[in-house]
Amino acid sequence: MLKVIQGGIETLVEDWPGRLGFLGKGMAPSGAFDNVALGYANLLVGNAPGEAGLEVTAGFFEAEFGVDTVIAVTGTPNPPAINGQHIAMWESVQVRKGDVIKFSHIGPCGFRWYIGIAGSIDVPPYLGSKSTCIFGNYGGFEGRKLQAGDVLKFGTPCCKSKDLLGRKLKKEVIPEYSREWTLRAIPGPNTCPDYATEEGMEYLFTHSFKVQHTSNRSAYRLEALPDSFFSRLDGGVGGSHPSNIIDHGYAMRGALNICGNTPVLLIADGPTLGGYMCASSVINADLWKVGQGAPARDFIKFQMCSQDEATQARIDQTKLFVEAALV
Amino acid sequence: MIERNTVMEKSVDACVPGLCARVVVNEGDKVAKGQEVAVINCMKTEISLTSEWDGIVTKVLSKEWDELEVGMPMVMLKVSDGD
Repeated sequence: MLKVIQGGIETLVEDWPGRLGFLGKGMAPSGAFDNVALGYANLLVGNAPGEAGLEVTAGFFEAEFGVDTVIAVTGTPNPPAINGQHIAMWESVQVRKGDVIKFSHIGPCGFRWYIGIAGSIDVPPYLGSKSTCIFGNYGGFEGRKLQAGDVLKFGTPCCKSKDLLGRKLKKEVIPEYSREWTLRAIPGPNTCPDYATEEGMEYLFTHSFKVQHTSNRSAYRLEALPDSFFSRLDGGVGGSHPSNIIDHGYAMRGALNICGNTPVLLIADGPTLGGYMCASSVINADLWKVGQGAPARDFIKFQMCSQDEATQARIDQTKLFVEAALV
Repeated sequence: MIERNTVMEKSVDACVPGLCARVVVNEGDKVAKGQEVAVINCMKTEISLTSEWDGIVTKVLSKEWDELEVGMPMVMLKVSDGD
């Protein structure tokens, strides 16, 4: 078990692919914001890649282990400390009963860490997932972010601790982090000529958009588009703005919603439908990069991609979390 | 033997990237360790920034709407090393 000393900015129990199949009831899939970092953390401790781990956003999480176990920390490159000593990331680490893990601030790139724990986190699955939806207050640990005094139980590890130690990711497979993230995206469903101009779509796929400070697990808000993006010339602000269309279901996760002039990436806990146009959809295999984008610091660029390429990238991603990725 | 405290200058730095919501202390104010000195807006959440030291505010470096990077000094304090 793990006793939380400080919850930090936002620490959640998340798994992957999250809570699928309930969009029609208005329930977002949630799930790890960076499923690649979670997948590797789980691989390192002998769990299935989609098992639940802890997603530590923006840092300052602190907790004491109540048992001897093996963990692995992945994500933004600023290693946490155990009993005051920094630990190696992207490899398995032995922890003992009474050890205290402490995170400081985020690294020079990236925004989230993942803690994989041998045997995973033992919280009751809700509608097939252990993921927390903080905006709906369900799933994970009591449907909320962790706070001081919380006690989390662990599941049963796949094997003995000694068999998990020494597991380390090959350097070349550690994901590359950046302050400018290129996301492959498929244009549409609301694109040129009916909703956006050709010039507008060209802007969308060439400009580097700053991530706004208001970005969170529901939506990543990007800097505004120019008025020339929109095909419709009339309208203005509010409900008549040309970004407003008849309500439709959003392609969760990854839809690029245009809300007024603001492009908004709908991700983990985002809305499932609404009345704003969606100019493109980020491919599933690149969603992890959104989770590592730091609000008020990083930039996002979109790169046009075909459906075939998106499908292949998704297949390729499922093959990442294998023993061959380890040293 | 007389113990003499050395006075040092310390900065209270932004702990997350975001926008400065407000600085809640003024120059000349006494602050205690653990006291909130500023608030940062990030992820549509207000994040409290607290002082690690007892001290006196010598300079306020941030104002509302300033964009902040992690580690950017927001408030300067005069701290005695005996604190």
